[in-house]
Amino acid sequence: MAQHRQHEQGQSETEDHYYREHADRRYRIEVTDGAAIPDRRDKGLFTAWRISFFGAVGIILTLCLVKPDPYVEILTFLPDGILVTFEVTILSILLSLVVGLIAGLGRLSANQLINLTASTYIEVVRGIPLLVQLFYIYYALGTFTQIPPFTAAIVAMTVCYGAYMGEIFRAGIDSIDYGQTEAARSLGFSRRQTMFYVIIPQAMRTILPPVGNEFIALLKDTSLVSIIAVADLLRRGREFATATFDYFETFTLVALIYLLITLFLSKIVNIMENKMTPYGSR
Amino acid sequence: MAADSTPIIQIQNVFKLFGNFIALDDICLDVFPQEKIVICGPSGSGKSTLLRTINQLETINSGKVVVDGTDVSHPKTNINRVRMSLGMVFQNFNLFPHKTVLENLTLAPIKLKGISKQEAEERALPILDKVGIREKAGSYPIQLSGGQQQRVAIARALAMSPKIMLFDEPTSALDPEMIGEVLDVMKELAMEGMTMIVVSHEMGFAREVADRIVFMDEGRIIEQGPPQQFSNPVYERTRQFLHKIEDQ
Repeated sequence: MAQHRQHEQGQSETEDHYYREHADRRYRIEVTDGAAIPDRRDKGLFTAWRISFFGAVGIILTLCLVKPDPYVEILTFLPDGILVTFEVTILSILLSLVVGLIAGLGRLSANQLINLTASTYIEVVRGIPLLVQLFYIYYALGTFTQIPPFTAAIVAMTVCYGAYMGEIFRAGIDSIDYGQTEAARSLGFSRRQTMFYVIIPQAMRTILPPVGNEFIALLKDTSLVSIIAVADLLRRGREFATATFDYFETFTLVALIYLLITLFLSKIVNIMENKMTPYGSR
Repeated sequence: MAADSTPIIQIQNVFKLFGNFIALDDICLDVFPQEKIVICGPSGSGKSTLLRTINQLETINSGKVVVDGTDVSHPKTNINRVRMSLGMVFQNFNLFPHKTVLENLTLAPIKLKGISKQEAEERALPILDKVGIREKAGSYPIQLSGGQQQRVAIARALAMSPKIMLFDEPTSALDPEMIGEVLDVMKELAMEGMTMIVVSHEMGFAREVADRIVFMDEGRIIEQGPPQQFSNPVYERTRQFLHKIEDQ
């Protein structure tokens, strides 16, 4: 990164150094805090995905058949929460993509102030647990102005995941060979045009898999919002359990449903990764 | 070469430092319209750096670079405008891998000159014909050989109708059997009267095409003159260098 910027400012040693500098560029970002992506090339993991997925489906079906009361009842009570979980997830992911792109570009900015602001934002947010951020926005800021729980949830998730996305965007953009920037600039493109017409379109395919991963991680983390009275999947489960005292049955189903959703999403991320063959080799 | 016309490029007392390393040491060079200049010299001699100062991919520490009447080294200059009339070809081609060959040619004219996609394509196809690669218009760069990629890179630069073409070791990254096809395209371009500055070790090409050869070492221009002069160079350093590369 430092080398990259240095060269742009024309401070690298010689033209020969320039090519050496770029020989060790990473072309793939490995981030796996979401879920293990079931890649067909990894036989063990692929089998594990199948066992988990169909195992979970099997257990849910068996439980409902063997003991319809309370399992079927729980299963009809939870979908509202699943919907809320999806709403929080999708809104947060869309907003955090925007924040992430801005933060990522900020981290690459030659402007010291913008660069420092973006870096500090990422550093601070990554250093505070999401649950604490959630409490802070809902309860601490709530002492000044009352924020609806759903809004607070979205804001907290966006701020937090925007910082993570920012790092992914930065790494993805940084992984594009500097020769691309030089070629575009030599044709007369401005910095901004180069970024949007040449660099970001190429960075997208490096960025997409880790972003998909963040998507899964974010979905799991939405369970935290249940604590500030957002009626998501976990919250609905808690409501049912406290009313009926069926703690074991309820949370078994809640866990299995989260697992199913996560496994389903990781499969989609995997399909997406496989679709991204090199340009022109389709 | 018309020596009495005004130079299209004026490089005046240019210094360029990389940290403590003096990459360009008081360089002066005038290039005239339609002139073909080949710059040669050992690795690290500053030849690529000099070429890159012309379109300001490399900024300079002092001195002045004037291209077609515009002081490109001046901070207030709109360098993007000047670059539109300066085509550049790189050692590593640097084609846009996410675009087809045709799109590589049309991207800049569409976005920078504001012409329609259709018009850009109508202009691009004859250029692809010229570099002999029209049948690959729909291919992606990765599907082409090195020689073909470099010819597309030349075509991409030509698509902006530049006044001057800069070549930065255009054949250095190519397999030997592909060097000829790229040099042929460059020769044709030279015959059409394009102003060309070529950083290259291809002395055969230099003798055939160049109006002037410039030999650089340690950030300085050691010797320059017509190709005949380089059959029997004035300076010992030039002689040594030419011996070394002709031995290969």
